[in-house]
Amino acid sequence: MFGLRKSISLLLILVIVLGSLLTIGGCSSQNSQKVLRIGVVGPESGGSAQLGQAQRKAVQLAVDEINASKAAGDWKLEAYFEDDEGNPTKSASATNKLIQQYKVNVLIASINSSATLADMVVTSRVGIPQITAGSTGASITAQGNEWIFRTAVNDEFQADALVKYARDVMGIKKIATFTASDDYGQSGAKLLASAAKKYSVDLVSEQTYNNGDKDFKPQLLSIKSSGAQGIFMWGLYTEAALISKQARQLGINAQLFGASGMASMKLIELGGDATQDMILTQSFLADSSEEQVKQFVDKYKAKYHENPIPHAAQAYDTVYIIANAVKVANSNKPEDLRNAIRKTQGLNLVTGSPKFNEKGDDIGKRLLITKIKGDKFVLVDTVFTGQ
Amino acid sequence: MKMMKTTFKWYLFLVIALVMLLTPQFITNVYYQHIINLVGIYTLITIGLNILSGYTGQVSMGHAGYYAIGTYVSSLLMLNLHMPFWLSVLIAVVAVAICGLVVGIPAMKLSGPYLVLATVGFGEIVRLVILNWTPVTKGAAGLTGIPLPRLFGLQITGEKDFFYLIFFVVLIGCYIAQRIARSKIGRTYMAIREDELAAEAMGVPVNTYKISAFVISAIYAGIAGCLFGAYSGVASPDNFTFDDSVGFLCMSVVGGNNTIIGALIGSFVLTILSELLRVFQSLRLILYGLILIMTVIYMPKGLAGFIEPVRKWMAIHMKKSTLIQD
Amino acid sequence: MWLVPFMVVMKGTSEYPLLFPLLFQWLRDVVKLQYFLNGLPIGSIYALVALSYSLIYAASGVLNWSQGDIVMLGAFIGFTIINVIKLGFTTGLLISMIVLALVGLLIQIAILQPLRNRQAPPINVVIATLGVAILIRNVALVIWGADAQNSPSPVSTKPIYLGSLSITPQDILILMAGIALMVILQFLLKRSKEGKALRAVAQDRYAAILMGIDTNRSDGVAFAASASLGAAAGMLVAPIFFVTFNMGALIGLKGFVAAVIGGLGNIPGAIAGGFFLGIIESMAGGQISSGYRDAITYALLILVLWLKPAGLFLRKTRQKV
Repeated sequence: MFGLRKSISLLLILVIVLGSLLTIGGCSSQNSQKVLRIGVVGPESGGSAQLGQAQRKAVQLAVDEINASKAAGDWKLEAYFEDDEGNPTKSASATNKLIQQYKVNVLIASINSSATLADMVVTSRVGIPQITAGSTGASITAQGNEWIFRTAVNDEFQADALVKYARDVMGIKKIATFTASDDYGQSGAKLLASAAKKYSVDLVSEQTYNNGDKDFKPQLLSIKSSGAQGIFMWGLYTEAALISKQARQLGINAQLFGASGMASMKLIELGGDATQDMILTQSFLADSSEEQVKQFVDKYKAKYHENPIPHAAQAYDTVYIIANAVKVANSNKPEDLRNAIRKTQGLNLVTGSPKFNEKGDDIGKRLLITKIKGDKFVLVDTVFTGQ
Repeated sequence: MKMMKTTFKWYLFLVIALVMLLTPQFITNVYYQHIINLVGIYTLITIGLNILSGYTGQVSMGHAGYYAIGTYVSSLLMLNLHMPFWLSVLIAVVAVAICGLVVGIPAMKLSGPYLVLATVGFGEIVRLVILNWTPVTKGAAGLTGIPLPRLFGLQITGEKDFFYLIFFVVLIGCYIAQRIARSKIGRTYMAIREDELAAEAMGVPVNTYKISAFVISAIYAGIAGCLFGAYSGVASPDNFTFDDSVGFLCMSVVGGNNTIIGALIGSFVLTILSELLRVFQSLRLILYGLILIMTVIYMPKGLAGFIEPVRKWMAIHMKKSTLIQD
Repeated sequence: MWLVPFMVVMKGTSEYPLLFPLLFQWLRDVVKLQYFLNGLPIGSIYALVALSYSLIYAASGVLNWSQGDIVMLGAFIGFTIINVIKLGFTTGLLISMIVLALVGLLIQIAILQPLRNRQAPPINVVIATLGVAILIRNVALVIWGADAQNSPSPVSTKPIYLGSLSITPQDILILMAGIALMVILQFLLKRSKEGKALRAVAQDRYAAILMGIDTNRSDGVAFAASASLGAAAGMLVAPIFFVTFNMGALIGLKGFVAAVIGGLGNIPGAIAGGFFLGIIESMAGGQISSGYRDAITYALLILVLWLKPAGLFLRKTRQKV
């Protein structure tokens, strides 16, 4: 066998194939019209597919709306979507493709924190503003990267609000945390622990689970024996619903708390009676009486025949932030867009009035503390992130 | 004959140098450069798998584990101890070789599904340890800001520089694999694959050879991991799942797992395929599954099997006597 | 009392008389007994999936990696029949098992038969079944979407208390239904003509061919039976674990582990392996760190494989040459 020679011939073929690909795909049209291209990366298949699919729907809805109402001035928005399956390597490839192939001017990417971090390497090398509407991991905005913005709710603020509410309103003194062992859950666990210290509440048990686990009874049994009065969950709704169910089956009557990641109507549907009276923080409530929210929910329902999840609202707002930025900057150059996004103000959107701090975190978010009553979330308190 | 061979090698060298120099010049689109770099990294892993499965007949569905160890060991050494790239790679190779030994020893007794399960188990153990050993590995958040490598006074940045680095390593990898395959070791591997009992009866220390194949294969994946860490700049447990291990195995089988060229073809075709299929949106993975099934049914020797007739034709027409091998 | 059916199922495996006194000694602690109890229903599910692996492996020597996604498909079809077409749980279970039996047959005829005819190497068969898994998973994603679905339980989920121990009627149902299916399978294997043919092929494929047994037919029977067992496992697990398009990967892997523990191809071994894994997992999760639980399971497994390369419960190590 003489694989070396074969390798060479193959490499030549490789070059030829790629060259031809370049000529086919590389000539994206450079229209004279004022066009802003938005790249969207999210997991549309794989474990967190419901988030990625909701993101796509919401972004498409917002883009159509903005183009119809001329909310971005003369600028026409175009959205390009790529699926990353929640895998960081695929996410970086998708980002590269959007930037190189479709020449996107701004990127909404991604949802899994590890994927967002991989995308950030690409966007900061090229110099393209990137907004994540879903990743909450602390490390994302802690790197001094000037190209990244986050419109997802700040987790630290949520943890503080939840623990404070538990202590002041419910009179809970001993708490347990039960978190996913992914980035979202791990940072949640850390923030809950420091919030517990801050409000001098006893943290008696810290349990974790791996995503995809189905049996949570072992951990719940040790929480039960620790005598916690409140269980704080940090993860996604499927696991949260299972945990609530299994806790009730084991006869645990502690108050349940949860963060925005699991705040979905699906949680109530899946968890049923077990989730009653659970307290959650979220950025968006579908049956809120606020005008902005009502309009968004009506439009979303009319188009997709389902209730939007909070992540959809965040993605929807993100497009409006971008539209505003391009209108203000009147340019699709990366630097101008970035500066305009950083100076975002005066918008009244579905999840709050966005305003970015120097790290790129949205500090204008509204945080709702809600309780599950019957088959819906009921608002019990509102806090603002900026305060 | 002998002279012909040497001239051939010179010709080869020229072509290689030309391709190396020209490719990034020719392909200026960073997206394509990125994909080619990924193909290069996957090729290394797949060569390792081919040495294992093609030559000794052992299967590993846990190579993401070695890949992960390579990435994490080298990246952590660079991040925390500020080691130069080459030194961190060296240490990572040692670490990966030890892990290959640890899996290879129980694996020598196993075959078929039992071996598959042991390797799957290894891959999952590595991923779960990375996920849960937060003080060192930063857990699910992963490593960020992995420094760009510096080699022989050259700072490597950007996709183009990495192309040269990765290409160079892949070339060396191909060459070494080729040498192994042609040496006594390679022939012994094939003897084990064809009939383990017969090989043992002939006095071949089968177990030692089987373990050595595991170690070599692990080292390939480990080096790929080092390159990946430096190239991507970030690493998290999500990069090294069971699905990734399966993906590597698919590259090996689709390309053809008993040739080195098969590794190149497999990683190239499957990586490009999953990028090309993006056009089909939600149907993408359905098509991917279908193509996978069709390939293994209708091309039992992998895509490299197609080259065989071409090569024979060339060999006959060029009156080369190199047909004896393989 | 509840151990009786368990012991009946375990009958025929070699080491259990040794294990049981130890187990009882250890289980005196109530908390540990609760962990043990929690492991039983999930163990029954693992046993069903392990059986479906072993059945195919015994009959045709194929390691079918799409088994987990067949479980998922069964659960989704059952969910659709119960919640959308509004038929009862039992009807749903039956229809789902029949549909999946057809799917299993289709996989055998369309994919594995051509592979066998072409004498493809075993690794190609592994990749082909992995391809089937990817295919089924993403077809389910397109049809049923990415959201988890709740399949209502046919019985109550309110716990029954026995002293300080608790168990739900649903858990009991899963355990009983699982055991019933295993008994039916054993009966069919021992008594029916197809079952006898299957066992003959499992023992010696070439001898069976010489005796005039149609191996394609027996392979088909094995795939159909195995897929409908998977469907049943999916239906039983749906009310407690929900149905998602990607549930198959985990359940498939766990079932495979259970099958290997019991010795692949060994039917009573698969059942024992399933319960063993379910109980060990429940205990390990409670007593040791939950994050490392699976890592510990796998490490133990590799160790076990090293010491007993053909599974825990296989009496004799037999190498096929």
